[in-house]
Amino acid sequence: MPAVIEAKGLARRFKEITAVAGVDLDVARGEICGLVGPNGAGKTTLLHLLAGLLDPTAGRATVLGHDTVRDAAALRPRLGYVSQEFTLYGTLSVEENLDFFADLHGVPAAVRARRKEELLAWSRLAPFRDRRAGRLSGGMQKKLHLCSTLVHEPDVLLLDEPTTGVDPASRRELWEILYDLAGRGLTLVVATPYMDEAERCHRVALIERGRILRCDTPDALKAGLGARSMEEAFIRVVAGGEAGRAARRSRSVAAGGARAAEDALAVRLDGLTKAFGDFVAVDHVSLSVARGEVFGFLGPNGSGKTTTIKMLCGLLAPSAGRAEVLGEDIGRRGPRLKSRIGYMSQRFSLYNDLTVGENLAFFGRGYGVPPRRLAERTGSVLEMAGLGGEERRLARELSGGVKQRLALGCAVLHEPQILFLDEPTAGVDPLARGEFWDLIGSLAEAGTTVFVTTHYLDEAEHCHRLGLIYRGRLLAVGSPQALKDGMRAGVMLELECREPFRALRLLRSEPLLARASFFGSRLHVLVEDAAEAELLIRKALTRAGLPVRRLEPIAFSLEDLFVIFIDMAEQGWRERRG
Amino acid sequence: MGSLRRLWAVARKETREILRDPVTLGIAIILPVLMMFLVAYAITLDVREIRLAVLDEDGGPESREYVAGFLQSGYFRLQAAVRRPREIERLLDEGSARVALVIPAGFSRDLGRGLPAEVQTLLDGSFANTAIVALNYVDAITQAYTARLHERALAALAGGSRHIAPVRVEPRVRYNPGLRSEHYVVPGLFAVILMAFPPLLTALAVVRERERGSILQIYIAPIRAWEFLGGKLLPYAAIAFLEMLLLLAAGSLWFSAPVRGSVPLLLGLSLLYVLCTVAIGLFISTRTRSQVVALLLSIVLTLMPSFLFSGFLFPIESMPRFFQWYTHLYPARHFMEIARGISLKGIGLERLWLNVILLLAYGAAVLSLAMLRFQKKLG
Repeated sequence: MPAVIEAKGLARRFKEITAVAGVDLDVARGEICGLVGPNGAGKTTLLHLLAGLLDPTAGRATVLGHDTVRDAAALRPRLGYVSQEFTLYGTLSVEENLDFFADLHGVPAAVRARRKEELLAWSRLAPFRDRRAGRLSGGMQKKLHLCSTLVHEPDVLLLDEPTTGVDPASRRELWEILYDLAGRGLTLVVATPYMDEAERCHRVALIERGRILRCDTPDALKAGLGARSMEEAFIRVVAGGEAGRAARRSRSVAAGGARAAEDALAVRLDGLTKAFGDFVAVDHVSLSVARGEVFGFLGPNGSGKTTTIKMLCGLLAPSAGRAEVLGEDIGRRGPRLKSRIGYMSQRFSLYNDLTVGENLAFFGRGYGVPPRRLAERTGSVLEMAGLGGEERRLARELSGGVKQRLALGCAVLHEPQILFLDEPTAGVDPLARGEFWDLIGSLAEAGTTVFVTTHYLDEAEHCHRLGLIYRGRLLAVGSPQALKDGMRAGVMLELECREPFRALRLLRSEPLLARASFFGSRLHVLVEDAAEAELLIRKALTRAGLPVRRLEPIAFSLEDLFVIFIDMAEQGWRERRG
Repeated sequence: MGSLRRLWAVARKETREILRDPVTLGIAIILPVLMMFLVAYAITLDVREIRLAVLDEDGGPESREYVAGFLQSGYFRLQAAVRRPREIERLLDEGSARVALVIPAGFSRDLGRGLPAEVQTLLDGSFANTAIVALNYVDAITQAYTARLHERALAALAGGSRHIAPVRVEPRVRYNPGLRSEHYVVPGLFAVILMAFPPLLTALAVVRERERGSILQIYIAPIRAWEFLGGKLLPYAAIAFLEMLLLLAAGSLWFSAPVRGSVPLLLGLSLLYVLCTVAIGLFISTRTRSQVVALLLSIVLTLMPSFLFSGFLFPIESMPRFFQWYTHLYPARHFMEIARGISLKGIGLERLWLNVILLLAYGAAVLSLAMLRFQKKLG
């Protein structure tokens, strides 16, 4: 079968930097090819080259038989590209966005109406067709973005981190959509920082410094490297290529004075509520966090995590309820408390045009660290962040993971007793995330309380305790183990077979197996009676010619818990509404 | 066919986005009208009601007649009649008088004897323009007074039998007989404001999508540069034309500035003009990387020159040769002639054709430059 995408020696330089350095890649029709690599590895540039958005400085690429440079005009109508940022028009409604892209691609009016309905129904965006795109949740925006690139029925779809910043439930849904598209014969190239997503691709290309280090099926890659998971495989390949990066992980941090605990609780919330007009962003949340604890706050986009953190930091006033931080009421606190808390916001909040050293100096002075102490602190923070000797580099030149470490450094300069981190690792590659969590761990060991929100459920395992929030309400609180042990919803079966997407659809058509979902490239099925369900699954799959490779009950993973809790909450709401 | 449809799709999308941002749209529409009121009232280019201080040490009938000549002219208003020279100093220092007349004792006597009489005029030169105009008025009033004296003397010589009159100038001002400054400030403002504001909004049109990243979808889509830019141009040109209608309405209803020539011709040519000025904004937008830079650049390239190099404040003929050529970089000078020509002189295409052709060429050149620069590629 001829390859749909063929790249030979493809390279692109930007002045001094070589973003893509001689890439060979073939992708067949109907294939999902994953691009996996750390931030700044060249994934986006490679996608731009394949889309004909950039001209290569060497080598060439053909897509659907068209040269990406010479035949760009012939290629464009058959190509779809989903960029990393949300690049639709926020003030236009869902339907208007779709109409605009249909117009751009000259989709005839008769075809358009039908196709639009299909896409809206298929993406489950139909109820929101009149909502402005800017007011959709992150996951819905991605789906709309995808729909708008599908409205002209492209043959090739290039996706740049389509699920970054999207919660696990929405990520599962998006992947089902991608499988569906591949099943219809579309060819997909997907860049992703999530390793569980890499496992779902037919083939994975590991990219580092503009080169493809390995390209194979996930199973072959893992086997070849003797790794159990893609994450392990990735870290082996990448850390091997960049020796000593892991060794730089430092545990020598002694920030955060664990002074004699006047009060054992760092945070105490009692019915904390925040309403914006009719919209209740945080709805009677009560919980407490002990000193020195790492508390993970989990929830999908728009569930109220950031709003809660902003209230705790004194950036927003609560509408009702009480909150105490370090024993002081957040309603009546003076500047004294401010100097005891650290905050790192979701977006990179450093100054890109300042150097590393200047950023640290600025934040240090801002927090009123005395000059002599500041010099000392700057030294230890630089060491902690692995930025020793890089004080004079501009912040903009740092990669995503390093920037996050610097931001964390700025937040702990003044030795806060409690640290609020709002999605500190969104869009950061696994290796960098690992390093970041090492830092959090060492801060906690030194006595700092850490209150952190995250989308990554593997990260949640690092937390001492978790709180799950959804639509502003706290659904569950407890240690990861306690949450898993306490789940009484049924038994989780894990299934491995060929063509997991087809299998998923087969299982879902059985009423008893309806709660099946993707987990990496495997399927997880939540059932009441394991024995009965096993029989049903084997029968259904054998009939369809998809022999079961492995089927066994497993412990709940956090991701499963997350999805189940949200399902239950949704069900509860539906029942209450009638 | 497909081209026009894509162009239209972009225009419709852009219009929706603009309409959903009522604050920006409001500013875009209200600011120009506000500007017209501010400028029309603030920049009264004629000098009237000059505050005059008089120290009449003579006090005779001649000196009184001479001072009356000032007050009757309508250009001067008596601020104070003082008795001591020091008070003159004070009034000028405070700025409560701009011109002071000092009529020495013996003024009437000297004139009666047929001797030359002297009058001292003190002018506040800190406003050079006002001072020059005031000086001319003082000169003219004094000459008129002298002429009257001569007339009387000659009449006395002739014994009243023959009336001897000196040559009188009978000026007739064409186009603006009342010399009312609104009458030419208002049409001038059409040219100035339509170049000052529409490009500001348009300059953001393309660079905004570049900043947001939505430009990538445009690059990927099979739409040509001219279709995309054309679609961007239309809504902003429409807004600018709406501004023109508002300015015209405010000009004729509030300031009663006349349009002596054809209104449809004025509107038609203003449409051509706004296409030119909006094209400048679009050109800026295709060449910049951030909205801030685009905005600053359009302030420097359009807002400032619209006042300085359009012939609105300073006549182009009196500029140094280099700047006379420089004004050709801006379409405002041509539309200035068109707007004043049609409004004040009532002339039509038969006199204005050169300006129209230059505007056409200008617009075509700027648009082609913008399109040539707009590559559907990154990097």
